[in-house]
Formats: sequence, structure tokens, C-alpha cells
Amino acid sequence: MSRKILWSVVALIYAFMLAPILITAAVSFNAVERSYFPPRGFSLHWWSMAMTPQWTGPFLFSLKLAALSAVATAVLGLPLALALRWPSFRGRGTLQALTLGPLVLPSLVTGIALLQFLTLAGVGNWIGLPALVIGHVVICLPFMVRTLSISLDSIPINAEIAAASLGASRLRVLIEVTLPLARSGGGAGMIFAFISSFDDVNLALFVARPGQTPLTVQIMQFLEYGFSPTLAALSIISLLVPLALVALFGRLVGIGNFIYQDHGHA
Amino acid sequence: MKPQGSAYLLAAFPAAFLLLFFALPILLLLSTSMLKSEDMVPIAQLTTANFSTLLTKKLYVDAILRTIGIGVAVGALVVVLGYPVAYTLVRTQSRWQPVLVALALSPLLASVIVRTYGWWVLLNHDGPINNFLLAMGVISAPLRMLPSTAVIIVGLAHALLPYGVLTIMAALNGVNPNLERAAMSLGAGRVRTFVSVTLPLTASGVIGGFLLAFGVAIGAYATPAILGGPGTQTMATLIYSFMMTLLDWSLGSAMGVILLASSFVVLALIMLAGRRSES
Repeated sequence: MSRKILWSVVALIYAFMLAPILITAAVSFNAVERSYFPPRGFSLHWWSMAMTPQWTGPFLFSLKLAALSAVATAVLGLPLALALRWPSFRGRGTLQALTLGPLVLPSLVTGIALLQFLTLAGVGNWIGLPALVIGHVVICLPFMVRTLSISLDSIPINAEIAAASLGASRLRVLIEVTLPLARSGGGAGMIFAFISSFDDVNLALFVARPGQTPLTVQIMQFLEYGFSPTLAALSIISLLVPLALVALFGRLVGIGNFIYQDHGHA
Repeated sequence: MKPQGSAYLLAAFPAAFLLLFFALPILLLLSTSMLKSEDMVPIAQLTTANFSTLLTKKLYVDAILRTIGIGVAVGALVVVLGYPVAYTLVRTQSRWQPVLVALALSPLLASVIVRTYGWWVLLNHDGPINNFLLAMGVISAPLRMLPSTAVIIVGLAHALLPYGVLTIMAALNGVNPNLERAAMSLGAGRVRTFVSVTLPLTASGVIGGFLLAFGVAIGAYATPAILGGPGTQTMATLIYSFMMTLLDWSLGSAMGVILLASSFVVLALIMLAGRRSES
């Protein structure tokens, strides 16, 4: 009896979670220029509007930005995670705080700080792609270091010291023992980084420039003039990218393992 | 090479990157919040005017209080709605469990804009809810549900619900179901077992989910911008207009500092409460 009540409550909450996304998908097929739900008539007009250069430009820019951010986050995250494996060294606490700091701060604050810093440092022309990549790397590094640490922790650092004491060179230990361990954590971290960069609004609002604007910011700017079913189509297109990414690579790196552990640790 | 040496060598470049592009900009933000601004660029003249403007003008004080209220309400909703879902997902024997978990977490993949747009469609004056109520004759004129603070809360709670589900699931996974069975075999009912065994054991997940949702909600821009209006400004929408429209960076920085401070204050309060309940 009480189980039935619980399941119906849960079903309602699922409806609450998924309905807005399904409604958005339906709205994109309206035959009229209104965001009607249920849609009136059926047309692919808004989907073809979403495929015009006004929107494909920012869409491709977002893909490029996300890919660059994911790679850069991995490049910076790996040495950081490797350094933090040493159980104790002077400055370890500071390094850890520096790494996790961006997690505590709202990304919007990180965004306005970066905007001011780059402008006052005389590199205002970095606003655009370089600033966006820098900002997204800052935001995504904590996750990357976290997932890398989880997979690196699957063997103790002593095993590597043992390998080294048996005559393996430091480089050989790194390549043959450590890096293969880091692969799944690094993969999961890169997927997280790609998706958070692709979906980010809060930081990108402040460090984008005309012509170098991600899709999310372009949508926000367009919204000031009102809603159009084109936006519904765009929303669904932008939802498909992360979905495809997780479907393609999620199983490969066992992303589910990291989702639980990540929050268990935090 | 000593272990220390290689740790430093590895950390040098990423640490320099974070110092330069994270720590330094935040320090700069803290200092510009105390400087006077002229034509967008802060000048070297100390002032507390930014903070006193933001903390005395009714418009701004309202926005600050509204933001914190939104954060608390969103945090509470996320925990209350997330708990039954997490509980069911952790305890179910159903073979659909992995699918249900994936469905519960899938909204995380969508940008917050996608998750908010549906609410606008549903609730605007020409939306299905108004049209349905009009057709049924329940109302004679469309309800004005947008813009409003309540709808911002609903939109944010919807967007952040998966975080609550995740943190509470993680906590529930650590609870041994035998403890619940033991309580019930000793005569406690389902409700009593939940209140005095399961809930206290998962308090960390509840608090974690609340904090996470609160922190993200007070710093969120897109949802209040889409579902709100001039009468429902939040700290985030004000920061945007200070920085990008009014071009008053000092005022924007000061509001950024207040945003930071509010998240830290709530964090500290909750840690304090946690310590008190332990002792």
C-alpha cells in the first residue's frame, strides 16, 4: 500500500523532470510562429531556421570551444592529479585548495573576475575564444582532478615506487603503470568538461565577443527579443550533442562509476 | 629525485595557470569592489560606496534577499523531491533500475536553457495551462504566471533536481538495509523507521544536496533571466546589467563579492548546525 503511494509520487516527480524537455521538443514542430503546446499543425520550418548560418555558426563555435576545453583540461589536470598523489609535501594543502577553489565559487563570479583581469592586464583581445577556453578549464579542472584521482587510486603509489625500485625507469613506470590507470578517469573528466563547456551560460556571458559567441549565449541574447519555435529546435539540437557523447563514449570509460564516487568523495 | 621534487615539477605549470587565471582575478575582483569606477575601469581610489549603495537601496536589497530566498526554497524543494526518487532508485529490485537512474540524471546533460524554455512555454499567458483553464471556464482572463519569483523557484528546482537525487543516492548507498529491517523487527513502523533510522543516516546527503542546489541557484543567470522580469531581479541578473549594460565594474564586483559572501555564510551556518547536532 505505502509502496504504491511511493511509486506514484516518484512517477509524478519523473513527469515533472521530463515534461519540460518533451514540451520543448513538441513546440519545435509548430506550423505557426508561436510556441504553442500542443503544437498547431506540423512543420519542419523551425528546424530549417535553426540550420541557418545565424545558428550553425555559434553551434560549431560551441563544439570547437568544448573540444578545446576538454583537451586543455586533461593536459593540465593530469600532472595536477599526479602531483596530488604524493601523500605529503610542503604546499600540498594550498595546491588542493587552489584546485578545488573554482568548485566553491559561482562560475558567474569566476567569469566577471576573468573579464576584469584580462582587460586590466592589457590582453582584452583575449576576450572570445581564448578567454572562454581559459575560463572553462578553470571551472572543469576540479572535476578532472577528482575523476583522475579516483582511477589513479585503484593502485597505491607504493606499487609504482616498487616498480621503480625493481629497476624500471621513472618514465617507464609512468607510461606502463600510471597512465593506463588514468585512462578511464581522464575520459570521464573530458566528457564532463566537454558537456559543461558546451552547456555553460554563466561564465560565457561575460567573456564572449560578437563572432565568437557560444550557442547558449547567442540564445540568451536572442531571447531579449522574444521567443520563437526556432529556439525550441535549437534547444533539442543542443541536447542531442551531450546525449550522443555519453551514448558513444560513456560506456567506454564507465562514466557511471565516477558519478557516484565523485559525489561520495565530495 | 625526491618525491617532493617530482610533485613540484608536475604541479608547476597547472598551479601557475590556476594562480594566474583564477586566484589573481578573484583577488582583483575583491579589490575592485572597493574602488571607485570611472567609465567602466576602476580607478585607484578607495571607497565603500559600492557596498553601501548595494546594501541600502531598496531595489538592490530586495534583489539580494530575493536571491537568498530563492536559493533556500530551491535547496529545500530539490531535497524534498529528490529524496523519494533516490530512495526508490536505491532500494528497488526492478530490472528497469539502470534505465530509471539514467532518466533521472539525463536532464543534467541539457543546458539550463533547454530545461527552462519548457517552463516558459507551459506557463506563458498563451500557454497550455492558461488555455486549458480558459476553455474549462475556470478563469475568465489568462493568469499572469510570468514573470514571477515562484516560477523562477520552480524552474531552478527542476533544473537542479538531479543533483539532489545524486547526492542522496550516494548517502543511501552507504546505509545498510539490515538496520532498517532490524528497526522494523523491533516493532517500529515504516514511518518511524524512516524518521529515526534512515533519515539521520543520510543527513549528510540531504545537507550536501541542499548546499549544492543553493549554491548553484543563487549564482544562476539563465533561469531568472528567462522566467523573471524587471520586478524579479536577482543578484546574478543585476551583476549582468552592472557589468555589461551599465558598465559599472566596481558595482558589479561588489555584488559579486556579496554573492560569494552569501554562499559562504550559508555554508558556515550549516556546518555550525551540523556540529551542534553532533555534540
